[in-house]
Amino acid sequence: MGGRSNRSSHQATEILKAFWQHEVSKPFIAFLGLFIVSAVLSPAFLTPYNQRVLALQTAPLALLAFGESMIILMGSIDLSPGSTMALAGTVAAITFVHYKQPLAIAFLAGIAIGALVGFINGLLVTKAKIPSFVATLAALVAGRGMVLILTGGQPIVGLRAFGVLTMDIGPLPTMVWLMFFFTVLNFFLLTYTRWGRYIYAIGGNEEAVRCSGINADLIKLMTFTLAGCYYAIAGLMMDARLEVAYPWTGWGAELDAIASSVLGGIQLTGGVGSPIGPFFGAYVLTLITNVLILMGVNPFYQWVVKGIVLVVAAIALTRGLRYVK
Amino acid sequence: MSRSTPVLETIELTKVFPGVVALDRVNFDLLPGEIHGLVGQNGAGKSTFVKILNGILRPDSGKILIDGKEVAIPNPATAKRLGITLIHQEITLVPYLTVAENIFLGREPIVKKHIFKYIDRRELFRRAEEILTTLGVDIDPKAKVKDLNVGEQEIVQIARALSENARIICLDEPTSPLTPKEIERLFDIMRTLKKQGRSMIFITHRIEEVFQICDRVTVLRDGKKIATVKVSEVSPQDIVKMMLGRELAEFYVKREPRVEEIEKVSKVPTLEVIDLWVTPERVTEVPLKGISFKVYAGEILGVTGLLGAGKTELGKAIIGLGRITKGKVLIEGREVKIRGPVDALKHGIVYIPEDRRREGLVLTMSVKANISLPSLYKLCKYLGLIDLGREEEVARYWIKALNIVTPSTKTKVANLSGGNQQKVSLAKMLEVKPKIVILDEPTFGIDIGAKVEIRKIIAKLADEGLAVILLSSDIDEVLSLADRIVVMRDGMKVGEFINKNVSREDIYKLMVG
Repeated sequence: MGGRSNRSSHQATEILKAFWQHEVSKPFIAFLGLFIVSAVLSPAFLTPYNQRVLALQTAPLALLAFGESMIILMGSIDLSPGSTMALAGTVAAITFVHYKQPLAIAFLAGIAIGALVGFINGLLVTKAKIPSFVATLAALVAGRGMVLILTGGQPIVGLRAFGVLTMDIGPLPTMVWLMFFFTVLNFFLLTYTRWGRYIYAIGGNEEAVRCSGINADLIKLMTFTLAGCYYAIAGLMMDARLEVAYPWTGWGAELDAIASSVLGGIQLTGGVGSPIGPFFGAYVLTLITNVLILMGVNPFYQWVVKGIVLVVAAIALTRGLRYVK
Repeated sequence: MSRSTPVLETIELTKVFPGVVALDRVNFDLLPGEIHGLVGQNGAGKSTFVKILNGILRPDSGKILIDGKEVAIPNPATAKRLGITLIHQEITLVPYLTVAENIFLGREPIVKKHIFKYIDRRELFRRAEEILTTLGVDIDPKAKVKDLNVGEQEIVQIARALSENARIICLDEPTSPLTPKEIERLFDIMRTLKKQGRSMIFITHRIEEVFQICDRVTVLRDGKKIATVKVSEVSPQDIVKMMLGRELAEFYVKREPRVEEIEKVSKVPTLEVIDLWVTPERVTEVPLKGISFKVYAGEILGVTGLLGAGKTELGKAIIGLGRITKGKVLIEGREVKIRGPVDALKHGIVYIPEDRRREGLVLTMSVKANISLPSLYKLCKYLGLIDLGREEEVARYWIKALNIVTPSTKTKVANLSGGNQQKVSLAKMLEVKPKIVILDEPTFGIDIGAKVEIRKIIAKLADEGLAVILLSSDIDEVLSLADRIVVMRDGMKVGEFINKNVSREDIYKLMVG
């Protein structure tokens, strides 16, 4: 009798150990911990209404984080998510409002422009051999400029129909389902496909990938393009949530995307991290803002708290390394 | 000398890593002014031992005594204070700083003026000059380290050790990247240091070096000390036997050269290179000047030459990594244009790099994922989904076929020994089923046991009908394996032999010119 319980307790420790060693364990624990703390701190936190708001706010950031994390896994960095999402949102809105195209065409136009920005980023990195930091910095600046030119700095209104993304299907809004869909898709892409494997390998050792006779440039180009699509979908979600294409949408969102990836356990050196980590990262980041608002804390403090959380997370994730840059 | 107190002594020093006892109760002593060789296969515990002495690793049990007094060495700074220093296997200098700045990094001479403190550059260069002179070398202290060759960089590392006034200098395989001339110079410096009364622990893979320079030698095997002996009382064969538990003759895999029969059977060479000229893309690369050769299926072409002869550049140029300005590459008689490794793979050519950690393997990934990396396209059925079951099978096949020692297919390659990493590097490129295999220093920097295994694998590849190009600076390796031998020097082909009645000396003379 005693022997059996010993064995099962041994098995339990094994399972716990395996969980702890899994890449997503720390982001998940952070998520769980903050969730509980938030529930204790504010009675309004657990209400269905607030959870719904939280999920709606998380969705676009999660999409940005998925795109950004793929790029970071390749050992590059992308500074363009915020501008790309704004540009895609603007183009979709203009197509719908000014050119009176059907909603589906407007969405496709938005996604296409996101893909184009990503593709150009990819070309700049692989063909012009500009470091991704600089190439996407250019996209960040130029992209925002394009948005301002297209909108004249004014919001585009009349996006009621974009509400298909915020309306409920069953218990949850469409875009929350979409977020889950992309979480699963991203997981499958990065875990079970060649493309995903190459992304990790390029981040781990690009030279080895090239010497192995793999077309690393093509993979990079494809990945930047896909990331651009993800940002564009985030842009459409923002349009839908605000029912307005606002020219300053996603201002600074690249930093939230990078922060989500880091909180999700993606190492900035590339090649290491769980594909679903960024989801937890995005959720935690949104949750912090949410609970601070519920508690009536001055919104300016949010930034400071986010910064501190980021530092704490980074310390937890890089513990054991001899040094970092 | 032999009767004085040891400057350094270890008693029952033990270090355990997860799953392996790296050092098992090692007793060791180092006398003043002694050069003490430390030999053993990879994974025998040599590096672990010197890392403990230098405070990089901490022992699990055992004692360290300096001048007969027990000490704790929790970090490298303490080691330095005790007069111990380690010259790493890899160069640990800052490339864009000058020689002098590197020597005194962190200990620059400072001038104080009022509230300002700044580096006294004149004094810095003067002191560096002084140290370099005591070593009897002619290196400009104002030169940038990146402009020095590997041998000179190593000397700068030694100079840094001297500037710290180290009494116990641990050298972890300092000779591996050096040419014979540079090794001679290093040994001269070591003799000078010895005269000054400094003690050295000298780790090497090359047994003959132990006999050139060491007073005593300690042999480690699987973390245990096998013996400490005076070099004058043993033969190289004895040492090798202690390292391996077997004979020296078993090192090299003897293969009968058979050029004539192969040429008769297959009239068209699998790969032919005609008058290949390559301009370097980086300053460290050697330009190739008019290289021509043929390789037939089932044949091993040995290309030998010293470091910097252009062997690596030749291998890389064939797979399209190098700017070819003139010349032709023919595969089975047809001219092909190879613009990169992707094209090379399409034509059935693979290159297994010398620097496997930098160019061969993705260290953050598992053994399985590394083996399948170049051949993933074969494991995907639809939508690019990887058949994980097949992948596992493929990995298991190669682990068995090449005798790769790994706890599981999921183990990260970073955790394998050098020899096993090399086997993974081989396995991944063989899985694409190539026609032509280019091996760049395949047995470089791995233990002797693994060397023998790798050589057997190379012989087997040729027996299976592949065309093999073996780029190696180990003349004996080339002589024992190759059917045909090309000798290179300064980017040129300086000789070609059919491997019959060729002597080691003939080749060596051509290599050094």
